[in-house]
Amino acid sequence: MEEKQRVNINVNGGEYSVEAGQNVLEACRGIGVEIPYFCYHPSLKVAGSCRMCLVSIGMPARDRATGALLKNEDGTAQIAWAPKLSIACGTKVAEGMHIVTDSDAVKSCRQSVLEFLLLNHPLDCPICDKAGECKLQEYTHAYGRENSRYVERKNVKPKHVDVMGKIMLDSERCIECSRCIRFCEEFIGRSIFGFVKRGSRTEIAVYPGGDNDSNYLLNVVDGCPVGALTEKAFRFKMRPWFLKVTDGICAESSAGVNTRVWSRNGEIYRVTPRRNDEVNGMFMSDSGRYVHLRFNDANRLRQPRIDSTSCDLGYAVSRCMEILKLGKVAIVANGWQTLEEMFVLGELSKACGAEVYMVSHLGEDDGKLVSADRTPNMRGAFVTGLLKDYPPADLSLLAQKIDSGEIATVLCLRENLMGLGLTPGHFKAAHIIYCGSLENPTSASAKICIPLRSEFEKEGMWINRQWRVQKFSKAVDAPDGIADDSRFLLSLLGEYTSSSWSDTSVRSIREAMVSRITMLSGCADVGPNGVLIDSSSFAGIEFPEGKAYHFKGQE
Amino acid sequence: MEISTELEKRCDALIAQYPRKRSAAMMIMHAIQEVHGYFDDDAIRYAARKLEVEPIEVYGMLSFYPMYSSEPRGRIHIKVCRTLSCAMLGSIKLAHEISKKIGCPIGSTKGVYTLEFVECLGNCARGPSVQVNDKLFDKVAPEDAEKFVEKLGAMDAAGELASQSTDSAPAGGGDFNSPSYRGEVMAVVENRIIYEHIGLGDWNTSIEKYMSAGGYGVLRDTVKRPRQDLCAEMEKSKIKGRGGAGFPTGMKWKFLDRKSGKPIYLVCNADESEPGTCKDRQIIYEDPHKLIEGIMCTAYAIDAAQAFIYIRGEYINGYRILVEAISEARRMGFVGAGVCGSGYSCDITVCRGAGCYVCGEETGLISSLAGGRAYPRIKPPYFPAVMGLYDCPTVVNNVETLCWVPIVFSRGGDSVSKIGNPADPGTHIWGVSGLVQKPGCYEINSGEATLGELLYDLCGGPLAGRRFKAVIPGGSSMKILKWDEKFILKNPDGSSREIRTEDIPLDAPSFQACGTAVGSCGVIVMDNTVDMVEALANLNQFYAHESCGQCTPCREGTLWMSRITRRISEGWGREEDVELLANIADNICGRTICALGEGAAWPTQSNVGKFREEYYEKIRRQQTVGGQARCDNNAYRLI
Repeated sequence: MEEKQRVNINVNGGEYSVEAGQNVLEACRGIGVEIPYFCYHPSLKVAGSCRMCLVSIGMPARDRATGALLKNEDGTAQIAWAPKLSIACGTKVAEGMHIVTDSDAVKSCRQSVLEFLLLNHPLDCPICDKAGECKLQEYTHAYGRENSRYVERKNVKPKHVDVMGKIMLDSERCIECSRCIRFCEEFIGRSIFGFVKRGSRTEIAVYPGGDNDSNYLLNVVDGCPVGALTEKAFRFKMRPWFLKVTDGICAESSAGVNTRVWSRNGEIYRVTPRRNDEVNGMFMSDSGRYVHLRFNDANRLRQPRIDSTSCDLGYAVSRCMEILKLGKVAIVANGWQTLEEMFVLGELSKACGAEVYMVSHLGEDDGKLVSADRTPNMRGAFVTGLLKDYPPADLSLLAQKIDSGEIATVLCLRENLMGLGLTPGHFKAAHIIYCGSLENPTSASAKICIPLRSEFEKEGMWINRQWRVQKFSKAVDAPDGIADDSRFLLSLLGEYTSSSWSDTSVRSIREAMVSRITMLSGCADVGPNGVLIDSSSFAGIEFPEGKAYHFKGQE
Repeated sequence: MEISTELEKRCDALIAQYPRKRSAAMMIMHAIQEVHGYFDDDAIRYAARKLEVEPIEVYGMLSFYPMYSSEPRGRIHIKVCRTLSCAMLGSIKLAHEISKKIGCPIGSTKGVYTLEFVECLGNCARGPSVQVNDKLFDKVAPEDAEKFVEKLGAMDAAGELASQSTDSAPAGGGDFNSPSYRGEVMAVVENRIIYEHIGLGDWNTSIEKYMSAGGYGVLRDTVKRPRQDLCAEMEKSKIKGRGGAGFPTGMKWKFLDRKSGKPIYLVCNADESEPGTCKDRQIIYEDPHKLIEGIMCTAYAIDAAQAFIYIRGEYINGYRILVEAISEARRMGFVGAGVCGSGYSCDITVCRGAGCYVCGEETGLISSLAGGRAYPRIKPPYFPAVMGLYDCPTVVNNVETLCWVPIVFSRGGDSVSKIGNPADPGTHIWGVSGLVQKPGCYEINSGEATLGELLYDLCGGPLAGRRFKAVIPGGSSMKILKWDEKFILKNPDGSSREIRTEDIPLDAPSFQACGTAVGSCGVIVMDNTVDMVEALANLNQFYAHESCGQCTPCREGTLWMSRITRRISEGWGREEDVELLANIADNICGRTICALGEGAAWPTQSNVGKFREEYYEKIRRQQTVGGQARCDNNAYRLI
């Protein structure tokens, strides 16, 4: 990384060296000085309209004739202060800049902006879904007045406006920050929200009856600093302060969007984007927010089964081993497995001499944060040696081998074999062991079914389309009776190798994997931005991601 | 809605005039409304399709600019000016009288009538002003409401009120033809340079007339001169912008980013919408070629790729006159390809506003001209000279300012800089409105007369039996002056002298020294009958209506102040309101995106500051009487 230029600035009397090129707001944030703001958004163009981030800014004074820096009597630089307060979001730091964020003028300004914003605001925090994560509420507590001086009537604006069935718009709560408008213009590429009317009667609106949908629309809810735009699916379900937040990676595609998973008592209430400027900026797709619903329905595989009869997990696993020992094994892996699981699976395939099959899951590439490869970790299969070439769309090769008797046992992880070229006849010809989270035609016909965890119920690492290794945490506990994926695979592996794994934690597998696979040597402790690995050895492989390959949440 | 091929053609022709399609938005929306009457879903979608924008963007503009309507309006659309100058002459009462006569509540449509209050029509010197469809009526006294309504009926029956869909100027200079205004000129102190042709008996707007008076001679010489010299002359002249901010014009040109490689644009700000200001109207309506020559001289000097005139929507005949005059000038080779036979080409496009004060702010105007809501833009980075129209370097100059350019180019900067006060050279056109004997526009050498001389000698003093009480010197946004106020002015020799309001010399530095500014030189005169709380309530309503709503302090503060002053006016004042008003104004001032935030705060700051006792007296009186009697309906009401 090239060294970024730095400038010296003075904030509230203290001298700091900060990265050049950033705005005053970000520079102050970087040194721990909070400047409140509503309309500014790091990923959107500067609007400068809320006036909350006004601060005093001065530059070293220069002699008009000679250009020489002017000094005070005590030798310090003379500062020419701007006659008015300046917006911190729209002002870039410069060498020698003086910034004051704690003067009476600044405090009075913040207080008055908050007072103005609350004049026509309904003050309905108790019934507002944004309460607890509302900037207006937070700043009012931190910088606002204690009382209201407003005795006039309030403006009446549209409430309960349904936006494409996804969002509820309450114009009375809106503070006209224009983030939703700018997001649609700049990220989605078309105007969906817009200002209508004028002055204090200004409202945000969508054009009635129009096609206002986009798979990125819900980002305006995350961006809304107040309760004007709330997500219908989450509305009134749970106060945010009751929710546990864990860091996730979106399983929707190989984009590897960083997420926050909000849960309580084992139930996921919402998924929101987590900022990663190298991957997804501050945004994610709407469809990605609901990936967890796949595992929430009645289709969940909850009980181990042998020949359609429920049984104990331990017994099911021991039967698996017996069948595998018969030989002629094929393993069907999948792109949702964690790197750690793939690593163990690779060891297992070597130990039992099994061939590994995978299939591709392709969809339309939207050029943004949903890429053509709809699995989150196909590249992990290359790194762990499961794959040499990009896999085909079905398992016709496996079907042939069952037909020819070369394969007698299939250990299938997650994939629905019935939809991929195998027929009920193949299920009779070979022993099919299905391990997965959901019921499907394969689980219905398989000899043995082992219920496994969803990606929200385990931790691990995935490699996204950029060859970035990213870590995600376990958000919720799996339902009772469901096997721990890696422990299950390790116990199978234990049948073949003498060295038993005393520690079956993901961490211990990761340590072994990192020490064994040189490409992953830097991935023992992956930070929040992930680790880019050297992918040059896979340069010859054609991956399906198109234009979205280098998309980072902003163009 | 059926789209006629005629409308389709007209829209296409309008689009062709602009470098970017959506720039034609203002004009296309006018065209659609002219044909269709109002905007329904079909009309919005049609406009969006033509402009290649989303319907929400068209709806955003439609609901922003009050001249566009989403509802059908009556065949006779009566707009009564409610802003201060007209209100003091009785326009509020007039509207109520008209309402009674036609049986149509103000702000509604009934039968053939639509009746509404509008903000300043830019006809302040001849109020009360009423615009009916495209026609402007001067001096409609409230007592004459009945006669006025009868006249409208007769004109309607004769088809004289029909909207003119052609873009040609009616003969005789359109609606600005009131003989009462002309000839009331005392040559003693007037020096008509910009207004040299205004009010001449045999003058008309034709290019022949203008050329017979030597017109376009300066342009012919200008295109042979090096641009650097021309810009240097402008700088030497020290002429300041006449739009209100008073920024030196030569300096403005100098700031142009000429290295960017992008085209440079010239925009003429003809959005004269500061209440009390009606000086540019005369130039546009009576001497359009003077403006066009000024624009072309400027365009050449700054090497503009294209020039625009953004004219306020209410000046509908002014628009027609300009379009006609430009086509004449184009025919004669003064505008368009090869100006005056030189290698320089530049065309002028005229764009109409649609009822928006913020379009007078240069970056707000740029937003509107680019085809959007007239939101002023943040500086940095959007300094017009660097990031103006279409983010290209742009000069925005006022009408009167541009008329100075040929004068500077022909007489030389040094010579012009010696007219009047050297610190603010040239003449000022003082548009006097309100409660004086002879309101009107008076062109006077800077600093060569006093405010008293203007108001007594030229304007004939106060109305019979009244006394001057207060004056707003430069359009409604400037700070008010009490008539009995005293100031200390510095003499040229360094000594100082005490003066009264009437002694203030008519130039920028003097008004600045008195704590206010010349602004756009729109002098609003108030006499002893005017209740200052009412006057402020009137202006606060203007600013609340005209605030664009982009930034918080102005958006919320202007409506708050307006609601307070209206409440006091209605009889429910509280003593704490006085300090509250002043404090709200302080909280707007200096904290907004554009300078109109100050403009919205200064009236309250100065009015409350200077007439504080009058506020307390009024409020205490209300509290003493109590009950319904709090609101004295017979009292002097301005809202």
